[in-house]
Amino acid sequence: MIFSFDLLINAIISGLLIGGFYAAVTCGISISFGILDIVNIAHPAFVILGSYIAYIINANFGFDPILTSIVVLPAFYALGAGIYQIYYVAFERRGQESLRGLAFFFGLLFITEVSLVLYFGVDYRYVQAPYIGPTLHVGFIDMPLRMLVPCLVSLLLIACLQLVLTRTFIGRAIMAVAQDQLALRLLAIDPTRIKRIAFGISIATASLAGAFLIIIQPVEPSVGRDYIGRIFAICVLGGMGSLPGAVIAAMLIGVVESLTSTFYGPSWAPAVSFGFLLLTLAVRPAGLLGR
Amino acid sequence: MRTLPFFLICLAVGAVVFGAAVGLGNDYIFFAGYVVLQYVVLSTAWNILGGYCGYVNFGTAAFFALGAYSTVAIYKFISEHDLYRMPMPFLLLIGGAVSAVVGFGMGYLTLRLRGAFFAIATLALAVVLQTLVVNWDYVGGSRGAYVIRPEAFPLIGSYIRYLFLIMLLLAVAALTIARLIERSRLGYGFATIRDDELAAEASGVPTLRLKLIATTISGALMGMAGAPYPYYIGYLQPSSTFGLDYAVNSIAMPLIGGTTSWVGPLIGAILLGSLQQVATVTISSAANLLIVGLLLVDFVIIAPNGIVGLLRDRRTTSAALAEPPLFTLIYIINLLPMYFLMYQGGTAEWIALFFWAFLFFAALARGWAIDRRWLFLFPFFGALAAQAAIAYSSFSLTVISVCIHAVGVLCGLITNRRLADAPN
Repeated sequence: MIFSFDLLINAIISGLLIGGFYAAVTCGISISFGILDIVNIAHPAFVILGSYIAYIINANFGFDPILTSIVVLPAFYALGAGIYQIYYVAFERRGQESLRGLAFFFGLLFITEVSLVLYFGVDYRYVQAPYIGPTLHVGFIDMPLRMLVPCLVSLLLIACLQLVLTRTFIGRAIMAVAQDQLALRLLAIDPTRIKRIAFGISIATASLAGAFLIIIQPVEPSVGRDYIGRIFAICVLGGMGSLPGAVIAAMLIGVVESLTSTFYGPSWAPAVSFGFLLLTLAVRPAGLLGR
Repeated sequence: MRTLPFFLICLAVGAVVFGAAVGLGNDYIFFAGYVVLQYVVLSTAWNILGGYCGYVNFGTAAFFALGAYSTVAIYKFISEHDLYRMPMPFLLLIGGAVSAVVGFGMGYLTLRLRGAFFAIATLALAVVLQTLVVNWDYVGGSRGAYVIRPEAFPLIGSYIRYLFLIMLLLAVAALTIARLIERSRLGYGFATIRDDELAAEASGVPTLRLKLIATTISGALMGMAGAPYPYYIGYLQPSSTFGLDYAVNSIAMPLIGGTTSWVGPLIGAILLGSLQQVATVTISSAANLLIVGLLLVDFVIIAPNGIVGLLRDRRTTSAALAEPPLFTLIYIINLLPMYFLMYQGGTAEWIALFFWAFLFFAALARGWAIDRRWLFLFPFFGALAAQAAIAYSSFSLTVISVCIHAVGVLCGLITNRRLADAPN
C-alpha cells in the first residue's frame, strides 16, 4: 500500500511540474484568446519556433536555452505585433475575424510547421544544459531538474505578466480592451495599439515556452499539434483571460493527466483532460476564475 | 433550376467523369480520384455547418473516422462469425447513421457555445473519440486494423473502380443536398444564424432545431465519406485517420472555393485536392501541407469570399493587397515555395511559379497604390536570380535573389510623406 502512496505523490508532483509548463504555453493564449478574442491557433507553432531557435543557438554556441529565449523575446514581440497588424487590417477591420481569422491562423500554423520540417527535417532535436540530467530527491519524492526549472521560471514569468497586467497603465489598458473599447477611445487610447502590444506580448511568451518545451522533451516540428487542444482547454477551463485561473487549470490538467497515465496507462490521458473541458463547457462555460 | 433536374445533371456529369476515368484505362486515376471525391463530400458536409451556419467544426476527422471505424467493426464482426459480406451501400448507411447520432449529440451538448468555443469543443470531441478508439482493442486499438479489399466487383472490374463509383454517387448526393438546403427555408434559417443568431432567435427562427439539423446532416455526410475508407486504404490506423489533415483540408477547401454556395466547396476540393495529389506524388507529403497552408492564407486575405466571389471582390482585393502589412505578408510567405520547393524540380517548379504569381500580383497592386509601378520588377528579377541560383547551384546567387526581394519589400513599404497611404 505504501508503494502506491509513493506513486500517487510522485504522480501528483510530476503533474504539477508539467502543469507549470502548460501554464507557460497557455498564458500567451490567455492573452490573445482570452483578452483579445483572437483565436490564435498557431500559438503552438510559435512555441516550436522558439524551441528551434533555442536549439540552434544551443547547438552552435552552447548558450543556455532559457537565456537565449529571453534574448530573442523582442524579436518574438515584433513578430507578434506584425501579425496583429496583418490580422487587424485583413480581418478585424473588415469584420470577418470569426471564420477567416481562424483559417488564417490555421494556415500560419501549417506554414511555420512545414517550413521547419523542410529546413530541419523531422528528426527530434534536443539541447544541452547543466540542469537537464540530474534529479532532486526529497524523501521519496523525485523532482527531475529538467521539469523543475521550466516550471519555476514559468511561474515567475506568469507572476511578472500578472503584475504588468494589473499594475501598469498599459497592462490595465490591455485588460480594458476586452471590456470596453469605446471607453478606451474616450481616454484617448488607441485600442488597436493596445491590442498590438498585447498580441506582441502573447507571442513573446511563446519564445520562453519554446525553450521550456525543448528542455523537457526532444522536439520535432509537429509536436506542437498535441498542444493545440490542450492549451485551449486550459484557457477555457481557467476562465477566459485570467492568468491565475490559467495556472490553476494547467496544474489541474497536468495532475489529472499524470494520475491517469500512472494508474490507467498513457493512452487514456488525453480523453480525461478533454472530457474535463467538455464538462466545463457544458456546466460552467465561464471557467474556474472566469469573468 | 429545380432539384430533380440538378440531380440528373450531376449524375450525368458523374457518369461522364467515370466514363472518362475508365477510358484512361489506368487504375491509378481511380486511386487519386477517390481521394479528391472524398474531399468533395467532406468539404460540402463541412460547409453545411461551417459555411451556411457559421459554426466552425474542427472535428471533421472525428466524424470521418467514426464512419471508417464502424466499417471496421462490422468487418471484424462478419469475419469472426463467418457471415455474408455486407454490401457497401449498407456500410455507408451505417457509418452515416453512427456519425449522424454523434453529430446530433455534439450539437445538443454544444448548443450554448458560440464562435470559437464551439470550434474548441469539436476539437475536444475529436481527441476524446480518438482516445476511445485507441483503447478499443476490437477495432485494432493503436496497432491499427487490416481490412482486405476484395479483388474485383462484378460488372465494374477492379474493386477500386467500384469504390470510386460509390464515392462519386455520394458526392453527387452531397452536392444535391447542399443545393437543396441552400434554396429552402432551412437554408435561409441557417443564413440568419450565421449573420446574427440573437436577432434570428428574437424573430422566431428556431435556431436550436436548425443547428441540430445542420450538425446531424453534416455529421452524417462525413461519416458516409469515411465508411468506404478502410477498403480503400487497407490498413486503418487511429493517428492518421484522426489526423489534423482532414480538419484543415475540409476547412481550407470551402474557404478557398467560397462558403456561401454549393459550388465553392466543389471548386475548392477539386482544385486543392488535385494539387495535393500531384504534390504528394511528385514532391512530398510535407510540401502538400505547405501548399494548403499557403493557399489558405493567400485566399482568406486576397479573396475573402473565395474563388466564387473573386470577380465581385476584385476591387477590394487590390485595395487589400495595397495595404503595407498585407503586401509584406503575401510577399514573404509566397517566397517560401521558391526556396523550399524549387530544388525538387519538375512539378515543384510549376507549383512554386503558381505561388510566385501571388506575390507578383501583390507587388503590382502595391506599386499602383504608391505610384511606383516598377515595383513588380523586383519579384521578377528576384525569381530570375533564384532560378539561376538553382541552375548553377550557386550560393551567392541565392543571396543576391534574397537581397533583391528584400529591397523590393522595402521599396514597397517606405513611401514618401506626400504619397503616404490615404485612409480608404
